Amino acid sequence: MVQGVILGVLTAGVYALMASGQTLIFGIMRVVNMAQGAMVILGAYLSYQLFTSFGVDPFLAIPATTAVMFTVGVAVQLIFLRPLHQDDRTQLSVLVTFAVALLLEGVMSVLWSTSDRSINTGYVNASWTVLGYQISLVRLWAFLLSLVALGLLHVLLRRTRFGRAVRASVQNPESARLLGVDADRIAAIGFGLGAATAAAAGSVYGLLYPFNSGSHYDLISQLLSIVVLGGLGSIGGAVVGSLVISVSTAVVASAFSPIWAPMTFFVVLLSVLLIRPRGLFGTAARGAL
Amino acid sequence: MSKRNGTVAVVTAALLLTTGCSSPGGSASGDAGAPLVIGASVSLTGDFSDSGKAVQRGYQLWADTVNAAGGILGRAVQLKIVDDASSPTQVVTNYQNLINKDRVDLTFGPFSTLLTIPASQVAKRYGYAFLAPAGGGPKMFEQNLDNYFFVQPAPTVQSGDVFVNYVLSLPADRRPKTAAYAELDDPFAAPLAENVRQKLEAAGVRTVYKQVYPSETMDLSPMMGAIAALRPDAIIAGTQNEDAYSQVKSLVQLKFSPSVLFQSNGANSPMEFPDKVGAGNTEGILSPADWFPGSKAPGSADFTAAYIKKYGGTAQSIDDSSAEAYAVGQVISAVAARTNKIDNKTIISSLHAGSWPTLLGTLSWSANGAPSGEFNLVQWQKGKLLPVFPASVAQASPEAPKPAWGG
Repeated sequence: MVQGVILGVLTAGVYALMASGQTLIFGIMRVVNMAQGAMVILGAYLSYQLFTSFGVDPFLAIPATTAVMFTVGVAVQLIFLRPLHQDDRTQLSVLVTFAVALLLEGVMSVLWSTSDRSINTGYVNASWTVLGYQISLVRLWAFLLSLVALGLLHVLLRRTRFGRAVRASVQNPESARLLGVDADRIAAIGFGLGAATAAAAGSVYGLLYPFNSGSHYDLISQLLSIVVLGGLGSIGGAVVGSLVISVSTAVVASAFSPIWAPMTFFVVLLSVLLIRPRGLFGTAARGAL
Repeated sequence: MSKRNGTVAVVTAALLLTTGCSSPGGSASGDAGAPLVIGASVSLTGDFSDSGKAVQRGYQLWADTVNAAGGILGRAVQLKIVDDASSPTQVVTNYQNLINKDRVDLTFGPFSTLLTIPASQVAKRYGYAFLAPAGGGPKMFEQNLDNYFFVQPAPTVQSGDVFVNYVLSLPADRRPKTAAYAELDDPFAAPLAENVRQKLEAAGVRTVYKQVYPSETMDLSPMMGAIAALRPDAIIAGTQNEDAYSQVKSLVQLKFSPSVLFQSNGANSPMEFPDKVGAGNTEGILSPADWFPGSKAPGSADFTAAYIKKYGGTAQSIDDSSAEAYAVGQVISAVAARTNKIDNKTIISSLHAGSWPTLLGTLSWSANGAPSGEFNLVQWQKGKLLPVFPASVAQASPEAPKPAWGG
């Protein structure tokens, strides 16, 4: 049980990183990004390629992979999402981003085939023994990386001019536009940032789990559940949602049965939504991030 | 029946007779000198594309080898391979086209039970023998098709029997006393592990843990943590690939190395497994296999040499699906050599009797196409996957207990 909690908390960091991009994209653009999982896997492949071809450590590769994925994210926004009409953007975005996910999956299976890949660094299976319990080093570093990345995201949104423009766009897009905020530019950069967090998470994902081009299907259902539980658009909510999903599945899987683990999470999710339909930290109206 | 309906029925019957149903497989032997055209639908794209391409390589290699030796009964083998994109509907269309439009003489099977089931039904309808290198799931044999032959040593769910026999061959004091079972919820892995569990329990090995996990479980660490806490002598895992790698990685991180670790799949991949779990962590892990590099079975050395010459790499890099596909061809060659005929009826009637040497060992089949042999037990020893049981194929003694993880 204790081992389950330790695993759950550490793994939550990775989920939080993946889900923060998802919720950021929704918060800024009201776009439900079904391609977030595929972007995480693409990030994992990029990291895998840098490691196998050039020996670059997956953690050190993160600046490079995030830069590439930022560009991919901006491109996806410009090509596929910008043409969508404001009024039905949320509904249409589900279909459009799902198509993007399928496109990415196809490209990945052509480039890297459909075999499983995993990134095996020398330290990938190392763990520390603390009071008889094992703490995986990679999971611990991934957790710390997530804290750093989420901290940076927080600073970016709260302390910079860009962040103020983002928040203004979220709160009142019309007024922001009148005050000179370029909403299109903010949306493109926002989507790029979401993709960049996916890249950072992808590096860690590749260290923790074997993956193939189809791995994003399992991932996206969990990510959507996390952001719905935490409240769409709330980064803090994504962190709490990640903790709930990760700890509950780990504890149930280790203490009871792995079969019931996903079920338990959905019971929690449905219970929260029954009492609080907008999720734990979601707001009824626009205005939070 | 009205006169009009009667006319329609007669015209329909006439059309059917002049089209699809006119020529069930069986005309092949009469065309001496003409090429022997063999049709196969293989997954060259989609989910099964890696294995599908391996199957294609095996078929092609067999055809090349046979043609270099003068063909089958003087007829050059010509393969017609089409892509089914890993789709169970496309595979049906493909075999219908191969049989009715292309009028191939024989058909070879696709990859995976999912596709082999519908494909074998098409072949059955037209009287074609259907030999398949993959398609060993329980549902396949429940169809009771007399034209179907699964070209592996045993049905997939029985591939753990060799491990049970190995355990039972040990003196009582060296057998594991307790076992934990981690079973992937899929048509092969969980039934396979259950089969092992029932037999080991009957032999007195106490089950301390048994759980089935869904295929979408990304993180197996919590379950492996629960198993590690119980410290069983043996971990017996019904696995595919990804989950097999995850289990080992989790156990290494948990610093628990059982005396016996058997994984039904994943660990038997010579290239993939060390790449995924780290070469230092493979030592002592057991798994079933039909073909393995360095096998002394009939035709294996020729197959290995021809494969490396044509496709490059090493014996270790050969996917066993290629060997299984090659064995399909070997069986056809053997039927022609024994009967001096090569038509579907002869193939079907011949294969229901006798035993047939292939690079997977000597094969024989029961009435529903289930092979009645046994897999080999392979073990990772010093970075190599070696057969260790039964003694007739063993190239090394089994290493027991499994040593600690190497990193």
